[in-house]
Amino acid sequence: MLLACRHITLKYAGSEKYVLKNFGFEIDGPGFHALFGPSGVGKTSLARILIGSISDYDGEIVKRRIQSILYSYNMERLPGWSNVGTHLDRITPSAKRDLKDEMVNAFGLASFCSQRFSQLSLGQKNRINLIRYLVQDFQVLIMDESLANVDEITREKILLTIKDLFPDRCFFYISHNVLEVSKFCEHIVVIRDANKQPQAHLIKGQNFSNGHPLDKNAYEKTMLEIMNAS
Amino acid sequence: MLHRRVLQFLIIYTLGLTLLLVVKYLLNLSDYVIPSPESLINTSQQVFSRYFGDVMDTLLVAIIGQVVSICLAVLVGVLGRQTTWFGSFIKVAAYNVQAYPIVAIAPIIFILLGDGFMSRLLIAAMICYFPLLLSILGIMSEPVVDVEHFYRITGRIRWQLEIKIRAFENIHKLTTVVSGSATLAMAGTIVAEFMAANAGIGYSIRIALYQSDLSRIIVALFLIGISLSVYQGLLEFSGSWVKKTWASA
Amino acid sequence: MNRRRLNPFLFIIVLMFILQFLSPPLTSAAEKLNYRLKWLFNASVVGDIWATDQGLFSEAGLDVLVKEGGPERDAIKELELGQAQFGVASADQVIRALSKGSPVVVVAQLFQINPLHWIYRSDNMKIDRLDDFKGKIIGITYGGNDETIMRTLLAKSNITESDVKLFSVRYDFTPFFTKKVDIWPCYINSQGPILKQKLADAGEGVAFFNPSDFGVKFVANSVVTSRKMLENNPDTVKKFTTALLSGWRISLDPANRDIVLETLKKYDKNTPPDILALQLDLTRDLIKPDAAVEIGYIDVDAWKQTEEVMIVQKVISSPVSVEKALQPQF
Repeated sequence: MLLACRHITLKYAGSEKYVLKNFGFEIDGPGFHALFGPSGVGKTSLARILIGSISDYDGEIVKRRIQSILYSYNMERLPGWSNVGTHLDRITPSAKRDLKDEMVNAFGLASFCSQRFSQLSLGQKNRINLIRYLVQDFQVLIMDESLANVDEITREKILLTIKDLFPDRCFFYISHNVLEVSKFCEHIVVIRDANKQPQAHLIKGQNFSNGHPLDKNAYEKTMLEIMNAS
Repeated sequence: MLHRRVLQFLIIYTLGLTLLLVVKYLLNLSDYVIPSPESLINTSQQVFSRYFGDVMDTLLVAIIGQVVSICLAVLVGVLGRQTTWFGSFIKVAAYNVQAYPIVAIAPIIFILLGDGFMSRLLIAAMICYFPLLLSILGIMSEPVVDVEHFYRITGRIRWQLEIKIRAFENIHKLTTVVSGSATLAMAGTIVAEFMAANAGIGYSIRIALYQSDLSRIIVALFLIGISLSVYQGLLEFSGSWVKKTWASA
Repeated sequence: MNRRRLNPFLFIIVLMFILQFLSPPLTSAAEKLNYRLKWLFNASVVGDIWATDQGLFSEAGLDVLVKEGGPERDAIKELELGQAQFGVASADQVIRALSKGSPVVVVAQLFQINPLHWIYRSDNMKIDRLDDFKGKIIGITYGGNDETIMRTLLAKSNITESDVKLFSVRYDFTPFFTKKVDIWPCYINSQGPILKQKLADAGEGVAFFNPSDFGVKFVANSVVTSRKMLENNPDTVKKFTTALLSGWRISLDPANRDIVLETLKKYDKNTPPDILALQLDLTRDLIKPDAAVEIGYIDVDAWKQTEEVMIVQKVISSPVSVEKALQPQF
C-alpha cells in the first residue's frame, strides 16, 4: 500500500453540506491514477487534504514511503518579470536539467522559452506549468485539470511521456474526460456526491502506455464501469 | 501622460477662474472680493518668481516626506501582511491611528519640533503615510495564489519572493497610490506651512490671507497645481517605466 | 461613461456656486440683518453681545443676527456678497478694501486704542524708549497688522533690521514662554490677563508695550456697512448704529459690571470668570479711554495716520482718502 484514505469526512465551516462523507480508497503503488467525478464533488478538497492545506477533517490518511505530495492546477501562472526559460532554469535542480530539456522538447515548447508567460497560449501555459512540477522531487503529483487547455493529440503525447519518464511515481490525474481516464489510468477513483455511499469507487483502468496495445473491449468496459459508478 | 495631467489641470484652473470672474462681473464685486484680470496679471508679475521658489521649496519637502512615508509604509506593510498576531496588531493600529486628523496632532508636533523643516516634513509624511500604508497593507496581505502556489508547495517561498510577486502583480495599483499620495504630501506640507512654518507656499498663502489678497492666492494655486501635475505626471511615467522595464528584464 | 458621470456632478457644483452668490441679499427680507463680528464671542465684543442679548436691536425695530467671526471671516467681503449688512473690520482691512474699489463705509469706531500690544518680561527689561528695542528678539506676525506697526515703530526711531531680530509669530506662545523671544505681540484685553497670570504663576512679572504711546496710532476694529446700504437705508443704518453703541455704553458702564459679566459668561464659557472680569475692565479702557470720548467716535486723524503708515509700509500702493469712507451714524 502506498496511499490510503479512510473514512474521510469534511464539512466547510458554516456549511451544513458534507463535501466528503466516510470517503475512502487505497492505492497500492506508483502509477498513473485518476480522480474522476462531476464538478463540486470534492476532488479539489481531497487534493488539499492530501497536501495538508486542509487539516480540520475527520478520518485518516495513511502514506507509506511518501515524503512529498505536490498539487498543480491549470490556473497557475509564472511570475511576469522574466521569460519562462529563465524561470524553468531557476526552479530546476541542477541534477534535473537534462530531464527538463527533454520534457521541454517532448512537450513542444522549445521555441517558446524566450517568451513571457503572459504571451503564451493557454495550452502552452498548462504545459510549462506542468514541467516545473515534474522536475521537482515528489512521490505523488496531483494534476488538477493540468492539461485542460491542451489539444487532444498533444495531451496524449504528454501523458505517455510522463508515464515513460516517471514509472516509479504516483500521479492523480483530475479530469472530467471519461475516455481519457479510462484509457491512460491504472486506477480511477470515481467520486460521487457525499449523499451517496460509498462515496468512492475504485475502478481499474486500461493503463495504456507506449508499446502496449489497447484492448478496445476492455476499454469500453472500463468506461461503462465508470459511468455506472458515477 | 505628463502633458495630459498638465492639460487637465489647466482646463480645471481656467474653468474655476472663469467662474470666479463671471460671478465678479455678474454681481459687480470689487477687486477686494474677487480680483480683476488686470490685478491678477499685476500680482503674478510681482510675485511669480518668489512664489515659484516657495512652491519648489514646498514640493521638495513634500517629495522627501513622501519618500519617507513610502519607505515606512512598505516596511510596516511588509510586517503587517502576515496573518500573525503582530500582523493584525499592525493593521488594527494603522486603521485606528489614521482616524486622527493630522491638524489636531500638528500643534503638538510644532511644540516638540519647532516651526522649521522637521515639522513640515513630519506633517507631510504623516498625511500621506496612512493612505499609503492602507493600500500597501492591502496589497501585501492579499496572496496572489495562482503565482505563489508553486513556490509555497515546493517550499521555495521566502518573504522577499512573496513581496516581489505581490508588488509585481499590483504595480499599476501601487503607481496610482504613490502618485495619488503626492497630492496628499503636498497638501500636508502646505497645511503645515500654513499653520506654523516660516517658509514655503503655505506660509505665503497665509500672509496673503492676512492681507485679504485673493489674487496672490490665485497665483499660488496656479503654481501649486502646475507643479503638482508635473510631479504626478513624472511619477506615473516612472511607474509605467518601472513596469515596462521589470516586465522585460 | 466617465464623462457622463462627471458632467452632472460638475454642473451641480457650478449651479450651487452660482446660486450661492445669486441668492437675494438678506436686506430685502423685512429688515432681517446679519452683523458679522471679527472674532469669536468674548469680552472684547461685549457691547455687541449686550445689544443682542438685551434686545436693543428689537427695540429699535430691527431683526439682527449677530454672527461670530474668525480668521477665515471677512465682514467686508460678506457685505459685498450680500451675506451680511453690517460687520466689524479692522482699519487696515477697510483701507485695503478701499484700495481695491470696495464700497465700504465706516459708521462707528469701536476701539479708540488698538488692543494690539507687545508683552515682555518686566524683570529683565524695560521699554521706555524705542531705542530699547535694539538687540531684542521681537515677535511679529508676517503679513499681519503687528508687522506693519512694528516696522513703522522701528522706522520712526531709525532702527534697522540688523539692530533687532525679528521672529515669526504663531498661534502658540511657547517661544515667548521659553524666553526664545523677548517681546511678543498680543491682544492686551483678551490674551493679556491670561498671559499675565500664567507668568505670575511662574514668578515672573510682565509689562505691555503700547505703540500708540510712541506716536503710532493704528486704528483697530470699527463697524462697517456698504455704501449702498447707507444710501438706500439710512434709517436702518442709523437705528442699527445707535442700538449697537447703546449696547456698548451700557455694557461698559461700571455700574452694570456684575450683570454684564453674568451675560458674558453665557456667551464665553471657556474663559474663567476672574479672567473675564479683567478682560472686561481692559476692554473698557480701550473703547472709552477718556470720559470725554464718546463711544463710537471716529478718530479721523488716527485713520489718516493708519492710511499713511500703510502707504509707507507699501501695504497699499496709492492713497485711498480714507476720510471719505468715514461716515459716523450716531
